Amino acid sequence: MLKVKNIEKYYGSKNNVTRALDRVSFDVDAREFIAIMGASGSGKTTLLNCISTIDTVSAGDILLDGESIAALSEGELARFRRERLGFVFQDFNLLDTLTIEENIGLALALNHADPSTVQRQVADVAQKLGISDILPKFPYQVSGGQKQRAACARAMVAGQSLLLCDEPTGALDSKASKNLLEIMTKMNRDMGATILMVTHDAYSASYAGRVLFLKDGRIFNELLRGERDRPVFYHEILDVLAALGGDVSDVI
Amino acid sequence: MTLSKLSLRNAKRQAQDYLVYFATVVMAAALLYSFNALVFSREISTLSQSMAMLPMMIVLASIVVVCVFGWLVAYATGFMLQRRSRELGTYILIGLENKQVARLFFLENLAVGGCALAIGILLGGLLYQALRAIVLALFGTVYHFSFGFSLPALALTVVYFALIYLRALRKSRKRIRNMKIYDLIYFDRRNEGAVVKTGRGRRVAFVLSIVLGVVGTALLMIPNLALAVAGAGCVIVSLFGFFLSFASGVPAFFDKRPARKFKGQNLLVFRTLTAKLGAMGVLMATISLIFTATLISEGTGLVFRGLFEGRAAEDACFDLYLALDEEQMSSDAPLDYVREHIPVEDSLLYNVYRSEGAQLLEYLGLTEDAFHYDYTQDPVLRYSDYAALRSIAGYPPVELGQGQYLIHAQAHLEGALGAYGGTLTLGGRTLAPGGVCTEHLMQGFGVSNGTWYILVVPDEAAEGLAVYHWAYAAQTAQPVPYEDFYNLTDLADKAALEWQVATRAQAEAEAAAQTALIVFPLYYLALALTMTAATILTIQQLSEADRYKRQFQLLQKLGMDRRGMAKALRTQFAIYYALPAVPPVLIGVPFIVHLARAPEPGVMVGASSPAAIVGIALALFFLIYGVYILLAYTSLKRNVLPE
Repeated sequence: MLKVKNIEKYYGSKNNVTRALDRVSFDVDAREFIAIMGASGSGKTTLLNCISTIDTVSAGDILLDGESIAALSEGELARFRRERLGFVFQDFNLLDTLTIEENIGLALALNHADPSTVQRQVADVAQKLGISDILPKFPYQVSGGQKQRAACARAMVAGQSLLLCDEPTGALDSKASKNLLEIMTKMNRDMGATILMVTHDAYSASYAGRVLFLKDGRIFNELLRGERDRPVFYHEILDVLAALGGDVSDVI
Repeated sequence: MTLSKLSLRNAKRQAQDYLVYFATVVMAAALLYSFNALVFSREISTLSQSMAMLPMMIVLASIVVVCVFGWLVAYATGFMLQRRSRELGTYILIGLENKQVARLFFLENLAVGGCALAIGILLGGLLYQALRAIVLALFGTVYHFSFGFSLPALALTVVYFALIYLRALRKSRKRIRNMKIYDLIYFDRRNEGAVVKTGRGRRVAFVLSIVLGVVGTALLMIPNLALAVAGAGCVIVSLFGFFLSFASGVPAFFDKRPARKFKGQNLLVFRTLTAKLGAMGVLMATISLIFTATLISEGTGLVFRGLFEGRAAEDACFDLYLALDEEQMSSDAPLDYVREHIPVEDSLLYNVYRSEGAQLLEYLGLTEDAFHYDYTQDPVLRYSDYAALRSIAGYPPVELGQGQYLIHAQAHLEGALGAYGGTLTLGGRTLAPGGVCTEHLMQGFGVSNGTWYILVVPDEAAEGLAVYHWAYAAQTAQPVPYEDFYNLTDLADKAALEWQVATRAQAEAEAAAQTALIVFPLYYLALALTMTAATILTIQQLSEADRYKRQFQLLQKLGMDRRGMAKALRTQFAIYYALPAVPPVLIGVPFIVHLARAPEPGVMVGASSPAAIVGIALALFFLIYGVYILLAYTSLKRNVLPE
């Protein structure tokens, strides 16, 4: 579904160049749940931003269903984001002036979808994510966990196939984190979402089917969960993090 | 939900979040409308001949005001765009195209602007009534409240507003369309850099800016256009140099003096301030420049008002005054005209005599005076004429003692003449000083009752004295119409080379018209300038509310009590608002004092004395500024300090 080919990303001025991504390549199959781990500054968010078209790559190519995203025009990019990509951020990025229902349905409505369809689709996804009762509320009236589930609902409501999550549990307590991760697993298994999640947290990563470890802008290691239980996978992730060396304390 | 619905909702939030800005835009609409209504009012333009100039003056001032408010709206829109970049980025993230977001922002601002315009025009209707009342009072006409809307004024206000908004919105539309989503989402991570970086460069810039400021202020006071322009240039460069070097110099100052940095709340206040000032050097300089222009406008307005009033007071002491520079009347035409056309209740035809010496001219140092009629010897009035003149002017009678003379002079000479003890010898009689009177008595320019002063002597002492010129004063049944005034000046001009015709009605109307023509536009401008600059300072301050709140919550955890926090907030506030106001006061006050001293003596007195003008100009400025400071402080204190 997604092909990341030798991408590179440089920042800075001519005297001070930071290489955020260094020839990163990997493939993502449809309906996969992948976690990307690494210490601060390892390039995880940059990678996610490049895939999500928030940022551009300095070299290399990203193909979605065989189509290079660098070649898309502004209009095509907007449509691509609207129809194919869903985003979940650490700090939710919900609009304060809109209710949860309006936040979820905004993109659909602004693109002139039939109002009754919008309402039905919003109600449908909200029910699946267990937030039907908070739909009429404003973001400041609900908990962090609920906000993040609303963000997930927004990311999926238009039938987007690729969900990009940047530290989705970063601002949540452990109970809300667990709840959200279970919801995300459900979205992946039952609703067919392909999920790419950047995280610091080994526990969050253990919900994924595959974990990519980034260090200094390169893919350092890759772990597949296979048929193992989640707790076992969790410990394997911790072992890889230990092998990453001095960054362990920073990561856990 | 549609795009326009979302825009409306955002517009509502914008009006709430930026209430001070919204209120200023409402006031802008009110100001524009009310002054436009003056332009189109027939009632006002027919008050006097000179008022025909008023529309042009107001339109000229309006153009500047539109530019000033245009800058405010462009600045505030750009500022909001920055503040809300993450929100706009989210729109793009969920699949909106840049041009759709630009439209969203455009509609939102159009809604805010439209709403402000509607409220402003209603308010402007009331404001116009106030302006109308002031103008009518200036002309001594009775004011009756009559609320009505002027369609042409409304149309012009809409045009001005469209110019203000469309310019700002075109700019922001271009910005949004060219914005990269990454820049929008991560905008808040950008850092601001200091403009002047090295210590040496900063010190040189700082010293140079102070020197330029002093030189510029001095040049502004020289009555020469080229030098004044150079002075204004120096002041502008000086303000920018000062704020850019000052903002980056404060951290260096404290870094070198750790003892001061860690004293009391200094660290907190100075870090909060430098974070703001470092990024605001150019803006602070611009605001300071605007404040300088405001103070100068207000001061100049007051000086002109004083000048017009002062001169009018002298010219308006008689209902009708006529004087021709000839010893004997050569033509009966002027007085015949009065007899035929102007009903007179009391009148006097008299002479101004030439004394035998020039002792008071010499005592007062007026022998070289270039302003006045060419008096080479002291001017003299007979006591009987003087008593009649006082009666015509409506002044109480004054007794002249046996063997005495009186001096009637302008008020500014009272001290000097009161101290004069010299005797006067006329026709062999010696007269002792009998006092000084200082009511207005046509003692200003040209052919009049003396040169700021005149001697009043017993009738018999004036016998045999040569005549300077004749004069005529009258108390009329009605105010003398402009047409009669005009015809009399025409006749006087035909009869003599030098002459003077004055009527109370004309002097007062002239002063009123001049005040309306010069002072109104200057105050209009001053008001727009202060409101704009104070709004920008306040938007900047209030936009930091969240950051302050987090900071104070942290400080509370570190053990700072509420009183300490309130004190830190107050200190920070005081410095922030005082800083851009200090240079304007230092530049504006000497300029106003200098300007107020420029007119001839005797005009700028009482409420128009230089000290009073400076006081009133500063009070007016700080009154409006103070309202904004108070609004910002109460709002911030309520939102920021923990309970």
